[in-house]
Amino acid sequence: MRVPFEWLKEFVDVTATAKDVADRLTMVGLEVEATETMEDDTVLEINVTPNRPDCLSIIGIAREVSAIFRLPLKIPSEEIKGVLPLSDFSVEILNPELCNRYAGRVIIGVTIADSPEWIKKRLVKCGIRAINNIVDITNYVLLEYGHPLHAFDAGTLKGKKIRVAVAGPQNRIVTLDGVERDLPEDALLIWDIERPIAIAGVMGGLETEVSHKTKNIFLESAYFEPFSIRRTSKSLNLSSESSYRFERGTDIEFLENALNRAALMIKEITGGTIHEIIDAYPVKYVPDHVKVRYERLNTLLGTDLSREEILKILGRLEIPAEDNGEVFVVYPPAFRRDIKRDYDIAEEIARSYGYERIPVRIPRSPLSTSRPNKKIGNMLRVREGMKKAGFTEVINYSFMSPLSLDMIAIPEEDRRRNTIALRNPLRQEESLLRTTLIPSLIENLKYNLDRGIKDIKFFEIATVFQDIGKPLPLEELRLGGILYREKVPSLWGEDAQGFYIAKGALESLFEELKIKGYSFITSLEPFLHKGQSSYIYVSGSYLGYLGVLAPDIVERLDLKKKRPEIVLIELNLDLLLMLIPESITYTPIPIYPYVERDIAIVVNEDITASEIKEMIRAFPLELIEEVSIFDCYKGGNIPEGNKSLAFRIIYRSKERTLKDEEVEELHASLVKHILKKTGGELRK
Amino acid sequence: MEEILSLKKSFLKESKSARSLAELQQLRVKYLGKKGLVTSKLKTLSTISPELRPACGRAVNEVKRYITEELRKRETLLKEEEHKRLVLSEAIDITLPGKFTPFGREHPVNKVLSEIIGIFVSMGFEVEEGPEVELDYYNFEALNMPKDHPARDMQDTFYISEDVVLRTHTSPVQIRVMERRRPPLKIIAPGKVYRCDADISHTPMFHQVEGFMVDTDVAFSDLKGVLESFIHSFFNVETPVRFRPSFFPFTEPSAEVDIGCTFCSGKGCRVCKNTGWLEILGAGMINPRVFEMVGYDVDLYTGFAFGMGVERLAMLKYSIDDIRLFFENDMRFLRQF
Repeated sequence: MRVPFEWLKEFVDVTATAKDVADRLTMVGLEVEATETMEDDTVLEINVTPNRPDCLSIIGIAREVSAIFRLPLKIPSEEIKGVLPLSDFSVEILNPELCNRYAGRVIIGVTIADSPEWIKKRLVKCGIRAINNIVDITNYVLLEYGHPLHAFDAGTLKGKKIRVAVAGPQNRIVTLDGVERDLPEDALLIWDIERPIAIAGVMGGLETEVSHKTKNIFLESAYFEPFSIRRTSKSLNLSSESSYRFERGTDIEFLENALNRAALMIKEITGGTIHEIIDAYPVKYVPDHVKVRYERLNTLLGTDLSREEILKILGRLEIPAEDNGEVFVVYPPAFRRDIKRDYDIAEEIARSYGYERIPVRIPRSPLSTSRPNKKIGNMLRVREGMKKAGFTEVINYSFMSPLSLDMIAIPEEDRRRNTIALRNPLRQEESLLRTTLIPSLIENLKYNLDRGIKDIKFFEIATVFQDIGKPLPLEELRLGGILYREKVPSLWGEDAQGFYIAKGALESLFEELKIKGYSFITSLEPFLHKGQSSYIYVSGSYLGYLGVLAPDIVERLDLKKKRPEIVLIELNLDLLLMLIPESITYTPIPIYPYVERDIAIVVNEDITASEIKEMIRAFPLELIEEVSIFDCYKGGNIPEGNKSLAFRIIYRSKERTLKDEEVEELHASLVKHILKKTGGELRK
Repeated sequence: MEEILSLKKSFLKESKSARSLAELQQLRVKYLGKKGLVTSKLKTLSTISPELRPACGRAVNEVKRYITEELRKRETLLKEEEHKRLVLSEAIDITLPGKFTPFGREHPVNKVLSEIIGIFVSMGFEVEEGPEVELDYYNFEALNMPKDHPARDMQDTFYISEDVVLRTHTSPVQIRVMERRRPPLKIIAPGKVYRCDADISHTPMFHQVEGFMVDTDVAFSDLKGVLESFIHSFFNVETPVRFRPSFFPFTEPSAEVDIGCTFCSGKGCRVCKNTGWLEILGAGMINPRVFEMVGYDVDLYTGFAFGMGVERLAMLKYSIDDIRLFFENDMRFLRQF
């Protein structure tokens, strides 16, 4: 709401500067977002919250200013002298539940012309274009009184009867802006005896608009049900100064004052003669009353206000109240229909008294043990773990493009195709909710590669959404990662393959989180390299995957690099967090020394390292404490189709010190067993 | 006697030319070994006349002691020299960079989020979460924003269907928690929220932290106390705080909370539109309509609620002027935090 300061001063003799008034208004809840100097005046740009439609007017703001500065409010006189009797127009309200009151005046013999400068100037300051004197006066009064008015060219109305009724099926109207509109069935319309002439409270019709030929007008001032106006305005995607006010609620009593004020101005400026008011008022306004306990206000606010102080504040706001001992009764005026219960009164008291004067207190709640959120704590540990492994966190929008899943070759029947679509996306590329974090991570990679960054390790923790045929989708927390390395000369060397770097990061994370019993098995993910990818299972449950992006997909990305090595990770974080053990139990430190033995064998290259490791572990010997692999080698003197693997085995007893000869014997039998099972031979 | 003295002389001469521990060892064998010169001299003592024997004996033993002591000294010296040589030969260029294994970084939004959570947890708040795709009922209706209510204009909503939306704020967690638990409650609910809006100061997704407290005598002054403590802890104790009346359908009285502009220290600048103040969060006493929706006794319980935008706080904390930077995920941006 734009409020010219000189206009405001017409209703309240405030001597403070515009800046002071702006600051004080801000501090009672009418935030002045900006002040603009226009010609010799200052215009206050006020953000009026939806609960205060009464402040969508100069007088409404003036009322607040009068309360703040304790100055009287001067309402202009709308007394009309020498009216003509009732005209032969009549009004019929067919939907009184949507239109509680409809008043109007016929004004004859008007001369359409440009408005006087002073009107035009004020309209421009408020951001409204001047059209002609009649239209300008209705807009002027709308701004001043906050009540929307509409003027019809009475000569174009058929049958001298105004009807107020819903549209019903298949009705259309050309509105003032020249657009022909299909009307929703439940839209409230203004009709003459033949046709709709306006969309009630939203916009008038073109055929009955006031033009330079107009001689007589019908001036409307009505009260429409807010929800109905809002519904119509929303479904037509059409809003106006009028609909904005009607949908927030107008003053059903004051509408007569606005009508008279406009009629008087029209008479003075255009020379018309005013007819008696036609006032259809089927649903009378019943003033409400609210009982409030003084003590309740003080406990709610944490204040210690006296009864007198409370009543004084309400008085200044023109809210009548009656002292009744422990309680007082408030009679909210028709322009304050937002006041319905004690909380509303508390708000009025608080903002007028001043939020800054309400004491600051630390809650007197008893010492309570709050339940720590384990999930949040464990998520922090995961984040910390990924950080330590060198991964930097990204946050992407939860959206993806419909093409994203094609890009990574997700088959039609895959669950990741059960997407949730937005009805009103900002862009097509952001029209689906993600079912996987991979496309976003690839985007992050491309973005950074384009900017010359050569070493990229990103991770993201975010929710993905899957349509499961219920009202709400399945939400699952994921941990995603992407790793890219360019082989550049480096001082100290870093020769592990990308896959093993990423795998190592996950293994370190699992170790940190004390997650055991995980295994890596060959993956079938459509977008991963068949020979360099793996599913991850923990205790038999599918956790996610890890692998190198398949060469055909890399090619599609058009990265301008030769065979870049891109590794991807995606895990079900909800599951991972559940697998973290709740508590730690100490295991005694071994007291007897260990004995170390190595075994280096040459086997067929199809046998995996973990198979052999499992064989060793499965060897029925409780003295084997640990098995680790320390070498994997192909080429050289190793025959084609074979590879050499070396393991280190730690033997230890819980009860005694092992003897060398004893270990020698055990180890020999182990080696024999492994050679037999793998068909391999000892490396020479 | 002369022979004994010449032994000492020749040892002195030879020991001076011994340059290594090995040479020193040879000397030890030559003089003090089983068949060494000094040892054999001792053996010949019996052949010397009894009158001369004591004097000669003393002289040989004296030489032996002397040589032993001398060898020890030389050995220590040579060992020191050898260590010095070793250390010198192993010297490296310590100005070469170390093996750099950089840690990753936490996203600045999550960094700030963790800090916010930490402050409230230290005040005894618990952390709760809720879904990001939410029923219209929880996002709006139960928060006193029925359909066809103009307050819905305050938030541009992404719709999935007529009754399902991307949550526009974290306030629905309030309803979900209150439906499940009874007071006293001190809860914060962090998470992602969505608005159908994009420009220099708006992104379609951002993060919020909702907080609320419900008990039998929670007052507006408690809200002021909790939020002031938070702001003083997050920024610093001198940061000016201002509560200003506002409107939210789910709180009443409602407030917007401003802090003294962090860019110009309240003098007035472009960022604060010359007001000297920056709005950082919305708050208020929980509207009794909300309590009625979850079946709380409005005469028994009162409460406050607040909500803050995490990106906004991160921007103020790190002097970031474009919210979109958070979601571009440029490594050169992310590595600064």
